[in-house]
Amino acid sequence: MEYRDSAGYRWQVRLAGQPAAVASLEKDGERVEVGNICVERDVRSARLWLDQGDGRQLAHAALVGEEWWIHIEGEVHILTRLEPGAAIEETDSGALIAPMPGKVLEVYVAPGQMVSAGDALLVLEAMKMEHRIQSAVDGEVVAVHHVEGDQVDAGAVLVEIAETTENEA
Amino acid sequence: MDGGERLNVVEWMQEAPRPIRSLLIANRGEIACRIIRALDDLGIRSIAIHSAADDGAMHVQMASQAIRLDGDSLQETYLNGDRIIDIAKTSGADAIHPGYGFLSERSGFAAAVVAAGLIWVGPSVGAIDTMGDKIAARRAMLAAGVPVIPGEEVAIGDDDEIIESLVEAAGSIGYPLLLKASAGGGGKGMRIVREPKNLQQEFAAASREAVTAFGDGTVYIERLLEKSRHIEVQVLADSYGNVVHLFERECSIQRRHQKVIEEAPSPVLTKTQRDAMGDAATLAASAVSYEGAGTVEFLLGQNGEFHFLEMNTRLQVEHPITEMISGIDLVEQQIRVAAGLPLPFCQDDLTIRGHAIEARIYAEDPANGFLPAIGPLAVFRPPEGPGVRLDTGVREGDEASIDFDPLLAKLIVHASDRDAAIRRMHRALSEFVILGATTNIGFLRNLVTHSAFREGDTTTDFIETHFDSGRPISTSLSDSETKEIAGKSLTGSIPAILASAAESFGLHRTRAAASAGAFGDAAGEAGRGGPNDPFQSLTRRYP
Repeated sequence: MEYRDSAGYRWQVRLAGQPAAVASLEKDGERVEVGNICVERDVRSARLWLDQGDGRQLAHAALVGEEWWIHIEGEVHILTRLEPGAAIEETDSGALIAPMPGKVLEVYVAPGQMVSAGDALLVLEAMKMEHRIQSAVDGEVVAVHHVEGDQVDAGAVLVEIAETTENEA
Repeated sequence: MDGGERLNVVEWMQEAPRPIRSLLIANRGEIACRIIRALDDLGIRSIAIHSAADDGAMHVQMASQAIRLDGDSLQETYLNGDRIIDIAKTSGADAIHPGYGFLSERSGFAAAVVAAGLIWVGPSVGAIDTMGDKIAARRAMLAAGVPVIPGEEVAIGDDDEIIESLVEAAGSIGYPLLLKASAGGGGKGMRIVREPKNLQQEFAAASREAVTAFGDGTVYIERLLEKSRHIEVQVLADSYGNVVHLFERECSIQRRHQKVIEEAPSPVLTKTQRDAMGDAATLAASAVSYEGAGTVEFLLGQNGEFHFLEMNTRLQVEHPITEMISGIDLVEQQIRVAAGLPLPFCQDDLTIRGHAIEARIYAEDPANGFLPAIGPLAVFRPPEGPGVRLDTGVREGDEASIDFDPLLAKLIVHASDRDAAIRRMHRALSEFVILGATTNIGFLRNLVTHSAFREGDTTTDFIETHFDSGRPISTSLSDSETKEIAGKSLTGSIPAILASAAESFGLHRTRAAASAGAFGDAAGEAGRGGPNDPFQSLTRRYP
């Protein structure tokens, strides 16, 4: 991921592992050595924990347009994304695909229906076992491509869900 | 809307000569919210008014009832006195509280409110008029024996006469002096004269400018008090002639005449000075038969002399610091007085406890000439804890827009002494997270930790002297600057590292973060939906 800071420097960061550790860091194309730096996500929204080896520090982050606003140690920093749109669009629909060829046994949802993360969408029989396909997000079912009895190939799109954004009533 | 059961109107209101059971707030934003909270404390029904732009505003949602005014301009909405009075009558309000700014010092509005049979939470029309007119105010103060800044109006006559009276006036007033247009303000016609030899020339120029701006070339000459302190005294008066003062506030830290940091009590006043200024303030209030809450502003010169500057016949933005050190709820007292009750305390009952500081949080960019900043308040997490108070009219998710005042919030801290209050303010400012719109929080942190501020060296040119484009000029570096110089590269990389982490964790996809958290996995990706796991959700993997 590449960003430009308010001083004009270009940063390229690669993270790896869980919790995320800095695998490599480049400033204006030149590699920078850093010690052991890890970042963990916090359960509550917009919060991160930074660990530079001497205890954890709380940071906050919010994406506004193409800018990441970061708050740490009482100061705000703005990082501009250098590949706009490279990351996830909030209105992308979640498409559930069949991981292997199989037969649709039961379909539980219909287009227009609202689902929550964890809800069962359909049952696929594959490799002599029944697989329950569930939603990973809260949202609205946009399309159901198959009915009970259909044979599907691996990679077939089964159900499409439009994730609801934060604007709740 | 009014959530849950409200308590009955407070006992003392039930016996009041003019009971107030419901009140309309003719204002918006943080002061409207502040007033509503006092009303909720007292069990009084609150009626809010708002423009369409404020449909989802905090004060609208907090009030018992909210009524929208049609129209886009301020004239049609918050400044629409007639319409506001109509709404007060039809909604059954007993009283109107004007807040600060807007219609609070318009005597015409006050008169109309009273004429409509409603209770006006504020002083009389006469008091507003007298104190609202610079010349009339000075005259009243001189008559009452309140020290005023030496000054005189120089009338227009034929040239020789002018010169003579001018020189005489300047002589008695003393140099350096300030020339101002009598007919108006805004800096028009304002000129500093340091030496007698420049007097006539500057006077002529000032007069010409005044004619152009206001059609009236009359010039007002006043002694200029440089490196002075702006100290104001809070007063409270009831309709029975009781007047008290609730000590002073030091408001010297200003930028372009806009207050930035205020504190109570002033770090420099001696007990004698405090008593003298307090007495002068109560004298000023009595001179105009004041009722309600008001503030008398003084300029304290370097020689220790103080002079009346003006009186604000309303509640002020920085009133919370007085509330913290005195323990008195000023809005509650305003309502008491308006209901016709006497003040429940006398001067001897009032003491100062600890020290309070207020920092005004503005949506503005100190690095860009302090121009107002706009943007969503994507994250708005105020500080909390002992001795921390936040007065605001915005919440996370609101927008900092160009429509209204860029004041987002007032952060007030209270502690046992000034040093403790400064440390607490620094802590609170560091905890305050606002993301999405640029604010002056960083500038405020530098300000309160500046050595000159810590020493109480607060005069009206503080910011110009010690800061340039929001950055400290002095050689004493703040902690973060020292760190930056020591490990320059590393400090600069942290924000980029955090942005990358936030991006890869999908922090901006709130739903993803929320559901991952709900499954108890706080560290990194949830681990579900991996390519080899058909038993869980089969969502497409995002890069």
